[in-house]
Amino acid sequence: MTTLSEILNLLFGPDPELRQIILTTLRMSFASTAISALLGIPLGVLLGGNNFRAKPFVYRVLHTLMGLPPVVAGLVVFLLLSHSGPLGTLKLVYTVTAMVIAQVVLITPIITGLAANIVSVKAPLIRETAAGIGLTPWRAVLYTVYECRTQFVSTVLTGFGRAIAEVGAVQMVGGNIQFKTRVMTTAIMMQTNMGHFDIAIALGIVLLLISFVINSLVSRIEETVGMA
Amino acid sequence: MIALQDVLVQYNERVILDIPELQFAEGKRYGLIGENGSGKTTLLRLLAGTLSPTRGQVTRMGADGMGYMPQNPYAFSFSVLRNVEMALDGEAERETAAREALHRVGMDELAHASGSKLSGGEAQRMAFARMIAKPRRLLLLDEPTSSTDIKGTDLIEATLLDYLQANGCTLIFSTHSPAQALRLAEEVIFLDQGRIVEQGPAKSILEVPQNERTQLFLAHWRI
Repeated sequence: MTTLSEILNLLFGPDPELRQIILTTLRMSFASTAISALLGIPLGVLLGGNNFRAKPFVYRVLHTLMGLPPVVAGLVVFLLLSHSGPLGTLKLVYTVTAMVIAQVVLITPIITGLAANIVSVKAPLIRETAAGIGLTPWRAVLYTVYECRTQFVSTVLTGFGRAIAEVGAVQMVGGNIQFKTRVMTTAIMMQTNMGHFDIAIALGIVLLLISFVINSLVSRIEETVGMA
Repeated sequence: MIALQDVLVQYNERVILDIPELQFAEGKRYGLIGENGSGKTTLLRLLAGTLSPTRGQVTRMGADGMGYMPQNPYAFSFSVLRNVEMALDGEAERETAAREALHRVGMDELAHASGSKLSGGEAQRMAFARMIAKPRRLLLLDEPTSSTDIKGTDLIEATLLDYLQANGCTLIFSTHSPAQALRLAEEVIFLDQGRIVEQGPAKSILEVPQNERTQLFLAHWRI
């Protein structure tokens, strides 16, 4: 039976691997969330703030992608980046970059969909109010983004939560290589399979702590928006 | 000149508004009355340019001299003062004009409150302050007192009449209340299912309606 002191020793002791795993996880999650936010929020503003004929179809595709199974995303990215794939020459497979790409494929639709839902509620009211006082449509878009800013932060944090907890896609394209592409989720899976429950539990605690901090931030932001 | 010629607005084959011809004279006050879904808001949105007709032509003045207050005006999360100043972009003495407009709607004390924390009635008064913060040639108001109490309604109506007199501005507003139409409008346009069924001087239409639909609508308002 693993004792609490053993777990704490693993977390704060001299073992470099655990720190490496945590750092790789954070690096990958921050990078993929940042890229997804840069892509997803403008797309969400565009989609939620405009009406066009194909909008229902685009929403159906987006909702499908929001529920994309991670292993499918991992498979697609793996086939693209593998040596025989169209992007094989880039030699990205089994790198953190490949893991970031797979996560961007997974998270961008989620951020886009959530941002579009937020914008679609506020944009018509803001657009009409802005037009009524003589502001240009471009100014109305800027004000819409400004008015949705706190919900956007909440959306990005939701994306980060998804990124840090993801296992299937990063395992496929990253390969769980020690000191290179091993992250918390893939390490927990591996250590559990090997019967090293102490390390798995220690990593699980760190993952839970990070998730708790993220959820606290999301709740705090939602409370602020609710009060505003 | 503000005019509609052979205008049709359709949504999924449903006719929302069908007006063969309508003209508004400059400097006059028009009240649009009718039940929910009669086309009042659609007509105002056409005149404001936030909606395009399915067919027909709308002649309107440029956005510069026009102010349009939608039924649910948005209160931005910055201060009430800044909310009003938004309507004065490019104007000199913005803050003074915005404070003056807020004073006229009895909101001096709320100038630094957040717009998103206002009640429905306060948000409507703030939106009205945006309208009167500068001289305009046309005011389009969609149910401007739907969320205000009696005191707020009296204040908005009195301020509006003063503003119109001072600026020689055209007013087109919608309301559910025939009494309000009688107080504010010189001419009334009664809409029913997207069509104009009666139009004329406010007093004669509201006191002696000729059309059956108008009579039925007004009968609901008599105690």
